[in-house]
Amino acid sequence: MESDEELYELYGEYVSLRELGICTAVSTALAMLFFYIAPSVAGLLNVAASGLSITLGAVGATVGFAISLFLARVKREVREV
Amino acid sequence: MDPVTVALAVLLSALSCLLYIFIGILPGTDETATMAPIALTLLLAGVDPLLVLVWFVASIAAFKMADSIPVALAGIPGGVMAVPQVPDALVAKEHGLADTVLRKGIASSAVGQFVALVVALALSYQLMPAGEWLRTADTVLGVKVARWFWLVLAGVVVLALTSRSRWVALLSVPSFALLIQGLRSVYGRPIYISFFLGITIGPLMFDLLSMLHRELRRSYTRRGFKEVRLVRVGRISLNPLRILTKEELAHSTLWSAITSVLATVMSPVGLTILIGDLLREGSRDRVKGAVLAYTVRDAIKNATYVGGTLIPLLVIGQPTGPMAAGPAMPFFTKLDSLGMTPRDYIVSRYDYVTIVISLLLASAIAFLIAYPLLVRYSRSITLAVFRRVPAEALYGLFIAIVIMLAYYDAKVAGVFGTLVVSLVSGALWRLGVSLGVLFMTLVAAPTLVALLTALPL
Repeated sequence: MESDEELYELYGEYVSLRELGICTAVSTALAMLFFYIAPSVAGLLNVAASGLSITLGAVGATVGFAISLFLARVKREVREV
Repeated sequence: MDPVTVALAVLLSALSCLLYIFIGILPGTDETATMAPIALTLLLAGVDPLLVLVWFVASIAAFKMADSIPVALAGIPGGVMAVPQVPDALVAKEHGLADTVLRKGIASSAVGQFVALVVALALSYQLMPAGEWLRTADTVLGVKVARWFWLVLAGVVVLALTSRSRWVALLSVPSFALLIQGLRSVYGRPIYISFFLGITIGPLMFDLLSMLHRELRRSYTRRGFKEVRLVRVGRISLNPLRILTKEELAHSTLWSAITSVLATVMSPVGLTILIGDLLREGSRDRVKGAVLAYTVRDAIKNATYVGGTLIPLLVIGQPTGPMAAGPAMPFFTKLDSLGMTPRDYIVSRYDYVTIVISLLLASAIAFLIAYPLLVRYSRSITLAVFRRVPAEALYGLFIAIVIMLAYYDAKVAGVFGTLVVSLVSGALWRLGVSLGVLFMTLVAAPTLVALLTALPL
């Protein structure tokens, strides 16, 4: 299936700027959301907030990545030769 | 080490290995951009620095083993370090030897990792007393200058001279140091992480922002999807001793030992290109030369990453080469939570035997998982990754992690500081300056600018 949208080559991959923007926004929003709720979670767990902020932020970014797998299409056409 | 720590080391090695097999196979995943932010995240999250080092060494083993798989199967590099292998792989592919280079690459990666570990750990133990001497400061032009600074300066000059644009690279050293110190004086504190991340994502950000410019965008425009031709491979033996010839084993061992030490101050990718090209050109048979070069380059990739991390970490205590000042930089960054650098924490809290056992354990676990998995299922994994993972999702993930860490470092100003540094870094990279030059300039910047301003000129 070919794409009608204009694609751009970035690091050897073809990307759609619109989809890249959406994926980045989703991952960043979730990373920052998790980062910000970390002090409340740390208060509940009685642990240091600083380390937990980064951990939860990374978890948020990873959740964003998982969601992005469904938001962006793969732009590789694999042919087995 | 208590049983819980050992169990955590095993778990982290296994997780790191699985994650970096996936990242390694994905095309266009830059090593520094993918290894450093995750190591930094783990350190900032409060994971014991030795366990993060275990994670890091396992990630080297898996990443460097996996990044050449798409090269062998499709001629596409999985990471920057796999780029020099592309011409060799194309020659091998033309002659129906794709599965041969695939298995030889995986086996020689294992050789490179373990030879470098043994050499770097043995040499570091012998050289440790020299570390104290290197950390001593002398007064030059009224400025306190640690002796390791001259090693970094020599390294950055050598690296600049071997860059694609040597004059631009040389000129960029003092200029970039001034930019860094200027921004630090604006922030009013010695910000580090934002600048480091800025250099890391420099090429990506520069290309991305160029795409927003109407004129520049044209050179990036592509029509249709990217076609990837994946070759079929036969059944491969699991016994690594059956995979490499005596000549390939000897070259892989010898060059791994030598380059693991040279990577203390020299560029891993530069060494991979140099030694591989020497071996390829030295062979009368074009195909045999390409296969030998491909194989040995795979060993050198692991060796330079291991040596370039461990010798500066255990002996010097400062990032003296592009590897230490790049992917391994989080270990040399002072963290408020520790009150010292992770490197200092490791060498002051753990005895040498514990460090050695941990690193050997990490590599052994990584290979026990990655080796059979990649030898048996490299093609299926590559096919699944190519068909299921969009590049946008991965780039989005790394940009999000960088934004979060930059914000953590210096709030909103940190995010914009990262943007400025990334644009300058990306532009210099486009002009042919190796990112290693910029990473090492970042390390040398405070002393370099102090010396520049103290010059009686």
